[in-house]
Amino acid sequence: MNAEAIVQKISSDIKDKIQEVSLAAPLRINVKVDREKLLAVLQYLKEQFGFTHLATISGVDLGESFEVIYHLASHLATVNVRILTPRSAPTIPSTVSIIPGAILYERELQDMFGLVVQNIPNPRPLLLADDWPAGEYPLRKDWHFNRPAEKIPGGK
Amino acid sequence: MEFKVSLGPQHPALHEPISLRMTLDGEIIRDADLKLGYNHRGIEKLAESRTFIQNLYLTERICGICSFSHQTCFTQGVEKLMELVPAKRGLYIRTLVCELERVHSHLLWLGVAGQEAGFESFFMYTWRDREVVMDILDTISGNRVHYSMNTFGGVRRDIDEIQRKHILDSLDLLRTRTEYYLNLAATEPTFVGRLSGVGKLSKEQAIALCAVGPTLRASGVPMDVRKDDPYAVYDEIPFEVCTADSCDVLGRAVVRVKELMQSYNIIEFLLKNLPAGPIKVKAPRKVKENEVFSRYEAPRGENVHYIKSNGSDKPERLKVRAPTLANYPATIAMLKDGFIADIPLIFAAIDPCICCAERLVQLDHPRSGESKVLTFSQLRQMANQRYKNKQFKKKETLWPF
Repeated sequence: MNAEAIVQKISSDIKDKIQEVSLAAPLRINVKVDREKLLAVLQYLKEQFGFTHLATISGVDLGESFEVIYHLASHLATVNVRILTPRSAPTIPSTVSIIPGAILYERELQDMFGLVVQNIPNPRPLLLADDWPAGEYPLRKDWHFNRPAEKIPGGK
Repeated sequence: MEFKVSLGPQHPALHEPISLRMTLDGEIIRDADLKLGYNHRGIEKLAESRTFIQNLYLTERICGICSFSHQTCFTQGVEKLMELVPAKRGLYIRTLVCELERVHSHLLWLGVAGQEAGFESFFMYTWRDREVVMDILDTISGNRVHYSMNTFGGVRRDIDEIQRKHILDSLDLLRTRTEYYLNLAATEPTFVGRLSGVGKLSKEQAIALCAVGPTLRASGVPMDVRKDDPYAVYDEIPFEVCTADSCDVLGRAVVRVKELMQSYNIIEFLLKNLPAGPIKVKAPRKVKENEVFSRYEAPRGENVHYIKSNGSDKPERLKVRAPTLANYPATIAMLKDGFIADIPLIFAAIDPCICCAERLVQLDHPRSGESKVLTFSQLRQMANQRYKNKQFKKKETLWPF
């Protein structure tokens, strides 16, 4: 089954669950879904085509909202499933029940973008330091690094 | 009673800072938990404020061993964004460096595995032969670690006839050496006995936990980006995807040794079919608004870059996922129900040394928790008694070649 056939099948099978599906480049399929229907779409892709390997989850700060892209890869093609979540209430569902290997990527999203992953089995910080101030999310576009003034021990 | 032992973030035996917290039942690991970020340098954030050309050299510095993987993954992504068709000879040289890097990385890993298994001479031999590859990389690029070979549209340095002959000659040496190690390891029962059955990861687990690279292939899943999603000139090169079905550390070693032999064939094919012509084409500075998802088969597994451009000369977003991060959930699964003594092998580069430094005078019973003070000689007597009563089964191990 090639990428065009997958696009055809997705658009005929789960038309009511997705917003749009397109072939962005050879072997790259873009699927846009509502965040409420994400789990159903991932389940469908897993059962129908065997997309079990989640390469990573990318978060992008679009200003008003965050875009979260789930990159699923197999020998057939790569499917980028994207959802939007508003900045005022940045929640996304946890996909660990369908793809157990997603845990570290979801914890990374929580650390870096301040997204709230619902039903995540282990919500502890993964990457940020233990004394990192609460409410600061480094990969948001409005976050800037201010280097603290250097203090020389014993200096004046 | 449960014991919790924490390892790292700073430990004399750790090569990189990582924190591992293990819940033990006697000598058996029941649960393990990771905390990362002690070496987090904020490269994704930094990349947003650098131009594409500057990012070429920034992405290279993500890793010291597979530096070329990250740079190539980024370059290929940006070339797609620029809608640029790279020069053919440039792509051949790029693929050549990719494979040379795989050879040096796998030889390095074999040496580390040998050292962790207590086979020190194996470690010294493989690292000696790794110098041959390092010398080749040095003559091609001028550097041993960061080759800086890539540029958008091709590569920065050409190779001439003398270099080509030098690589082909060295290849013969590497082939003979690798075959020698194969025979050596096949007839060395302690080495096989130490590696087989350690760090089990079933096929289902490996797929579910999204493992990548030799870890996944050693569990019998033939996934290789070079075959599934060919980049550079891999669609023109004949090669096989190497797998093993033993699902343990031995299988991972076997996959890597087989991949070494495949890499030698690929390098020979590339050098014998090297096309003439320019090594690069001119690339624009600005990139129009688009996004790309770039995949690359690094020595450790699938490497992934997601690049989003906004029409300027800087990326809007660069997301990097190195293969090691993808393998962490699988590593936790491998550690579970294993022995403390197997951690160095499973974690390969990590040598925790928990047991060796401590002279035990107080023993807590692992289940009841009651304490008892023992002298060293009593402890020794107990140990001798225990091993006298225990019936050891002779392990039937076979080298799977």
